[in-house]
Amino acid sequence: MTWTVFQISLRRLLHSRSELLLTFGVPIVFFSIFAVIFGSGVGTGRTPNIQVVAVDEVLSPTSAAVMDSLHEQGTLQFVHRAGDRLTRQQATEMVRHGASAIAIVLRPGNEGQVAVDLLADASDQVASQIVMSLVTRSLMLVEAHRQVTGFEDGSPTVQSPVISSATLASHVMHQASEAKPSAPQIDPTVQEIAASITNSIHVIDILGENKSSPVISMYAAGIAVMFLLFGAVGGGGVLLEERENQTLERLLSTQMSMDQLLLGKWFYMSTLGVVQVTVMFVWAQIVFKVDLWGHLDGFLMMTVVTALASSAFGLFLATLCRTRGQLNGLSIILVLSMSALGGSMVPRYLMSEGLQRAGLWTFNAWALDGYNKVFWRDLPVASLAPQLCVLMLCGIGLLLVARLLAIRWECS
Amino acid sequence: MAIAMLADTAVDSALEIRGLRKSYGGHAVLSGVSFAIARGERVGFLGPNGAGKTTLIRCLSGRTKPDAGEIRILGKLHDDPSAKEVLGLVPQEIAVYQDLSTRENLSAFGRFYGLSGQRLRDRVDWALNWTGLKDRANELVRGFSGGMKRRVNLACGVLHGPQVLMLDEPTVGVDPQSRERIFAMLDDLSRQGCSILLTTHHLDEAEQQCDRVVIVDGGQVVADGTVDELIDRSVGSSRWVRLRVDPPLRTSLTMAQDDQVISLGQVGDDELHTRIDDVSTHLPDLIRWVRERGYSVADVEVHAPSLHHVFLHLTGRQLRDG
Repeated sequence: MTWTVFQISLRRLLHSRSELLLTFGVPIVFFSIFAVIFGSGVGTGRTPNIQVVAVDEVLSPTSAAVMDSLHEQGTLQFVHRAGDRLTRQQATEMVRHGASAIAIVLRPGNEGQVAVDLLADASDQVASQIVMSLVTRSLMLVEAHRQVTGFEDGSPTVQSPVISSATLASHVMHQASEAKPSAPQIDPTVQEIAASITNSIHVIDILGENKSSPVISMYAAGIAVMFLLFGAVGGGGVLLEERENQTLERLLSTQMSMDQLLLGKWFYMSTLGVVQVTVMFVWAQIVFKVDLWGHLDGFLMMTVVTALASSAFGLFLATLCRTRGQLNGLSIILVLSMSALGGSMVPRYLMSEGLQRAGLWTFNAWALDGYNKVFWRDLPVASLAPQLCVLMLCGIGLLLVARLLAIRWECS
Repeated sequence: MAIAMLADTAVDSALEIRGLRKSYGGHAVLSGVSFAIARGERVGFLGPNGAGKTTLIRCLSGRTKPDAGEIRILGKLHDDPSAKEVLGLVPQEIAVYQDLSTRENLSAFGRFYGLSGQRLRDRVDWALNWTGLKDRANELVRGFSGGMKRRVNLACGVLHGPQVLMLDEPTVGVDPQSRERIFAMLDDLSRQGCSILLTTHHLDEAEQQCDRVVIVDGGQVVADGTVDELIDRSVGSSRWVRLRVDPPLRTSLTMAQDDQVISLGQVGDDELHTRIDDVSTHLPDLIRWVRERGYSVADVEVHAPSLHHVFLHLTGRQLRDG
């Protein structure tokens, strides 16, 4: 008997393509997505490229040398031209709008030194740490050169391999001494210089400074969009159930048209989605102090449009499939893939540039960018135009395709 | 000929179908179907599987566009928007929302048929009384028995008071009591003047519950008339006789009649089958003839010809044969 049950279960699996896909295809797809994310982004031993802007408020040969050193760092991608003179305010706005991950502001420090303010977006927790270490390195190189050559106003060069290596070696030893208090023989002067440089770098969180839970809203949006998609697919699946149990046939023999049926389902699924996301954000406000009330206008715009687009996606998938089983298999693969690529599971800034570009083909990426602008960057609702337009056009487009696909049910 | 007859009766017809043709991928499913249903008439629509019944019903309900032919409902072409208002469809499946209550289902389908306001409330109340489900109006349909679900299924198709109702196997899978109840409900509709086209696999149901029977096979109407008319036209009024004999036949039994040789049974059979025109005179002669050949007659059955015999005669297949 036990063997028969085993055989029957196996045969049923082999007869169901969607079950086979879920059992063997989905894990491979997911493994591949996360392998690509973590294989070409974080965790590879290679430093990801970071978009930065730099502001020189000192305008001295030393600050120019630091700037030159920073520009030589392959990891940093300067999003403004080398000749552009930006102000701190402009750089702050660029970070606030997401045009740059971080702004490096060189300002006068103590005793003629160059101090650095890193204007950071705390939602990108990787960028500030990497940039801080790179800025420290550049300051060390320039300071070492200044110590050796004694230049103050001349044009320094930082390409001397002897000086750079020696200074870096001291820096490394300094770091080692911090890790192991008993580590011996570090030149006290070098130690003081290194400490002074480290103390002159300040990371300023320009976006999350007044927020109690900096990244909660980002994850709230990520989870909300993923469940909007799952909910929409479930709602679309009802259409297939109605078709399978002949209710659709019956409905279409009444005075109702397919247009009315699809529009009714679209509005219902969208309304349910809006309520679903709102309930989640209300919970986030009560428990995690996400400022929903202060961003109500932007939240409503993003939520309504995202729900409309997700519902259209659900209807599109339902009309594309022939059975509920097909829909289940396809939707799990698509929704989870879109969520992984679009940033609902892993922040997109952790991904390689290629994957970040690929993520723009998903609802999740556009929706999360919009929610990010609302809750994290505190941008005005006018800045949501690109996200709202893309999501709305996708929604309308998918709804039209769903309508075309549904023709086969109308006059089969 | 049939079309000419239809033209004569067009004025009184609730439903007229003329020369309906429909093909799928070169395969003709309907090959010129024509018949009509008078107002208040109940017609049984029979045919073996694949005969074209479902396609015809889909054409009637507007779900499939015929390649040729014409359908008129109360004199109007069936693609006229007002035709849907007088047409009702009850599918074979329980095509209602099982996770809604009876009242919610009725209200929903009433709205789909264009009812609203007081008229909708009145019709829902009528349907609850009509189905005998008033005391379970607020219970979810999924908890109902098969017969009760069938009644809700039926009620959802007639809320708008259709003049022509198409029923596809309305009693499949229900117990005899529920069948009785459903046919009592249909009687009520007939009394109100509703014309009913009843598709069924129960020949006895068609014979007892319908005024007329239309049989389709191979996409064509092969018979149309009352049961008596069909019997007269096909198998005739002679009775079917079955004799159980003892011992089983040692040789084949044949009988000569009107220059024909009729076989009554083969070697090894213990039953003989034949037809006789007059039971009172021919049956004693038949029994005597069998005894004279050395067999005793253990049992005798005499059957009047039924729709079953007509169906087999016309289609050559049992109703459920594919």
